[in-house]
Amino acid sequence: MKADPKNVFTGSHYIDGDVACAYGAVAAGCKYLAGYPITPSTEAAEAFAVKAPYVGAQFIQMEDELGSIASVLGASWAGKKAMTITSGPGFSLMMETIGLGAATETPFVIINIQRAGPSTGVPTSTGQADMMQAKWGSHGDYEIIALAPESPQESFELTFKAFNLAERYRVPVMVMSDECVGHMAEKVVIPNAQELEVEPRRYFTGSKKDYKPFKRDKDLVPWMARAGAGYKLYLTGLTHGEDGRPIFDVKTFEMKSKSLRGSTNRYLVDKIRHNRDKIIKFEEHQTDDAEVVVVSYGISARVAIKAVKEARESGIKVGTLRLVTVWPFPEKRIEELAHQVKGFVVPEINYGQVVYEVDRCSQGRANVILVPHGGAAVHDSDDILGAIKQAATDHNPYDRILEYTTALEREVFGENMVSKI
Amino acid sequence: MDKIIEAFHDGINKSGRDREKMCMVTDIAYDPEVVDYLGVDLFHTNRGRAIAFATGMKLSNPNLILAVFIGDMATLGGNHFVHAARRNMDLFVVCVNDFRYRKVAAQETPGDFSRLEFSSYCSIEQPLNLPHLARSNGAVYVARWTALHHEDLINSMAEALPQAGFKLIEVISPKPELLEFFYLNSEIKHGEDTAKVGIEEDKKIVVGKFVERERETFIDAYNKQHYKVLGDKFIKIAAE
Repeated sequence: MKADPKNVFTGSHYIDGDVACAYGAVAAGCKYLAGYPITPSTEAAEAFAVKAPYVGAQFIQMEDELGSIASVLGASWAGKKAMTITSGPGFSLMMETIGLGAATETPFVIINIQRAGPSTGVPTSTGQADMMQAKWGSHGDYEIIALAPESPQESFELTFKAFNLAERYRVPVMVMSDECVGHMAEKVVIPNAQELEVEPRRYFTGSKKDYKPFKRDKDLVPWMARAGAGYKLYLTGLTHGEDGRPIFDVKTFEMKSKSLRGSTNRYLVDKIRHNRDKIIKFEEHQTDDAEVVVVSYGISARVAIKAVKEARESGIKVGTLRLVTVWPFPEKRIEELAHQVKGFVVPEINYGQVVYEVDRCSQGRANVILVPHGGAAVHDSDDILGAIKQAATDHNPYDRILEYTTALEREVFGENMVSKI
Repeated sequence: MDKIIEAFHDGINKSGRDREKMCMVTDIAYDPEVVDYLGVDLFHTNRGRAIAFATGMKLSNPNLILAVFIGDMATLGGNHFVHAARRNMDLFVVCVNDFRYRKVAAQETPGDFSRLEFSSYCSIEQPLNLPHLARSNGAVYVARWTALHHEDLINSMAEALPQAGFKLIEVISPKPELLEFFYLNSEIKHGEDTAKVGIEEDKKIVVGKFVERERETFIDAYNKQHYKVLGDKFIKIAAE
């Protein structure tokens, strides 16, 4: 289905990443945004709120993030594409209801413009430290999809894509942007509506009596129905079977049998894991001959470009792999590269999150070097260059992740002060 | 509890509202099993978020009739309760007050006042006056009954369901052996000032219809204001 031209602000814009997220959502047909103001994400909600009345969409400023996310779930079941926009502290508040969204397989989008530090942190500065929270934040087993834009242009594109993925797999999708991308103004080109393919909601088309909210298609994704349309929907956050009714029997938790009363827990993870090849997107450059590969995402990927260029100029065979989809993680590709390279360099604005995934997938075949950053600023590209050089010279894989000591840390803590992973 | 659902069932019939368009949103205080014979859609949400969930549903499809059942005296969802009333969101809220978290180990809720049950050292806290909270924040319909005021409860539900705006019915429903005690120790005072209906020990429980008034709902106000500013460019909130 093509995008509705009314929703697509075709043309060349000079806007920041936050606003680009809002435009991407509108283009994808998002009709409901509930949020609570939080720096550095407010610009996105503002931009959406301004455009909403023109496109039949609705913005509501809820009383808190707990209410925002709950109302987004409600809106989604009432038949609208819905999202919320937040940052770290609000993201934490939403966690419980994200679990409800995952368990009831509700399609919705969360945009998290990450900021620095734990707790209130540095509200006005950047960070990439919510990456693991995005995947593991709510209790119990489930899988989500998380995307990481590196520019305002990509903020538009990935927010658009997030809605498509949410509808396609009936899953919460997170756009893990950060303050730097969110507040960076660049040229954003929005194409014609004809060029934008929108995934329509997968409504059940059979007889109303036959509808089961968690009966799966071949690709393990169940069909949706609208609330208040006579389907006698039965949705609960309790562990449930195909018909949505609660299940408490241990034997039926693993739904391998075709029994109607098997729980759907297994499918919450399987529907993403089995479809991961279709979901995962990453960008590779110069990895054909690479001895070192820089694995990065979001704003860190852009900072790494300079370091990679300088390293190539100095004769080091270095390539890059930029994660567009952080979750699910491109395990296969990292594993393949681990056979080929001496080392991976992972710059991220935290003290080690995605680097653990890289290390897990490289299975001890290559060195994995983390270039850490405490947040509130982006990396110095010289640090990434230093880590690339280190990776290129060490031949024997270490049994643990190496943490590169950045110039700033050396200055502040001295050479031996920083504890290593 | 069965009595209340039965009253709700009869209340829907009496009000003549369309069951197909009705969605029952509850938090975890309710067994979802009860809705099977109601013939409505059920959304059994997580702790305390029922009102916010229903807010999202109403805004996305104004044709839906939202019945929200909460069970912890709006403790976890207290903020949603206050703000939904303030916005005059079109929700029909039933709060079943049994003074206890019956599903766990009967710990006291903020509605508890009693030394009637065996809590180790008795409740020392002042019970929450939910009708007053609803009224002071702008609810259009506020009533309280005990579960044994069956006919009154049915009439009240039938009366409140078709009204536009935030409606609250508090139902006093302690454990079965105490139902009659509360029924006998209640007095009906329609139109009573909600400031005076707080539940106190050694005093009769005041029941009845306390508030019935008209106020512009959120969706009407939203549509009106946007139309005023944007004119024909404005697209109203409507179901997709």
